[in-house]
Amino acid sequence: MNVSFTLIAVLVGFMIAIQFQTVKKPIERDTRDVWQLREALLKEKELQSNLLSEIRSNEEKLSAYESKRKQSKEQALRDTLQELKIEAGLTEIAGPGITLQIEPVIEDIKLGAPVTKVVSPELLKRLLNELNMFEAKYVAIDGQRIINTTVIRDINQETKIDGHTIKSLPVEVRVGVDDISSAEKLSNRMKVSKAIEEFFIENLRLSVSAPNPNITVPAYDNPMRIRYLEPIKEGGDS
Amino acid sequence: MWLPFVGLIIGIILGLLTEIRIPEEYSNYLSIAVLAAFDTLFGGIRANLQNIYDEKVFVSGFFFNIILAASLAFLGVHLGVDLYLAAVFAFGVRLFQNIAVIRRILLTKWSTRKEKLEKS
Repeated sequence: MNVSFTLIAVLVGFMIAIQFQTVKKPIERDTRDVWQLREALLKEKELQSNLLSEIRSNEEKLSAYESKRKQSKEQALRDTLQELKIEAGLTEIAGPGITLQIEPVIEDIKLGAPVTKVVSPELLKRLLNELNMFEAKYVAIDGQRIINTTVIRDINQETKIDGHTIKSLPVEVRVGVDDISSAEKLSNRMKVSKAIEEFFIENLRLSVSAPNPNITVPAYDNPMRIRYLEPIKEGGDS
Repeated sequence: MWLPFVGLIIGIILGLLTEIRIPEEYSNYLSIAVLAAFDTLFGGIRANLQNIYDEKVFVSGFFFNIILAASLAFLGVHLGVDLYLAAVFAFGVRLFQNIAVIRRILLTKWSTRKEKLEKS
């Protein structure tokens, strides 16, 4: 009897000791007097000043690297990348432009009759073509940036632009151009374009704003999927 | 009779010397295992005093209780219910009962011995 009992007692003791050690936290009383505390404080301050000087030297190094980087080829590459991004529509654009407002024709609303709520995709496509014809650079419809691969289509009686649904009127179309004079030209051309009449046929009014020197066109925020497009191989495997 | 206590002390010394520490999140399991071990130990002592001690029952009960308690605590953690409290409660109650029984047995033994001494 005693052997197994003793063995298990050893085991229990072992477990208790481990538990005790796990739970126990060292408690050390602070018995330093004022002068010792001051010394410790001095030491910590020295450490702090050392750390500060280290930070300063690191920051200097960082700014040196930054200035070196600016003159390097990498910067040129970055600039090119940024240009390409702007061209592809991945950046927010702020600059001169006009805004177009698409809203239902209020005079035409009859009591009890349903109000037109949908802009048909064909209409939007025609509008875009017209805008492009008049050298619009950056276009966003209802906050959705239009890029080269954008699709505008009707899905279950809902007009969708790249998955973004146009739910209600009025819809704002922001058009950005390069400079204020072309914004003015665009505005004038849109004011006399056929688009206004085409919208009116569908009980919608297209109002064209005066050229605005400061318009923001949001960036395209969905991931761009490129299918069926491959880089050309130049001279074999390169 | 004193061998188990010596064993206990040896175990404690061994545990303190090895300086093993268990991660904070597992200390729950160990504490419940310790409780189960205590329960079994006192149960064993009581059975010994009542002369119904069975080695197989004792050894199997020791390991089985520990494993059961730890797995109950584990299950409780994963179910979001503090099931280990059930084990704590059960073992706590049994611990007290066992200790009470041991105390009574020792008291009766002590008093009978005293009476014998007085008679002789």
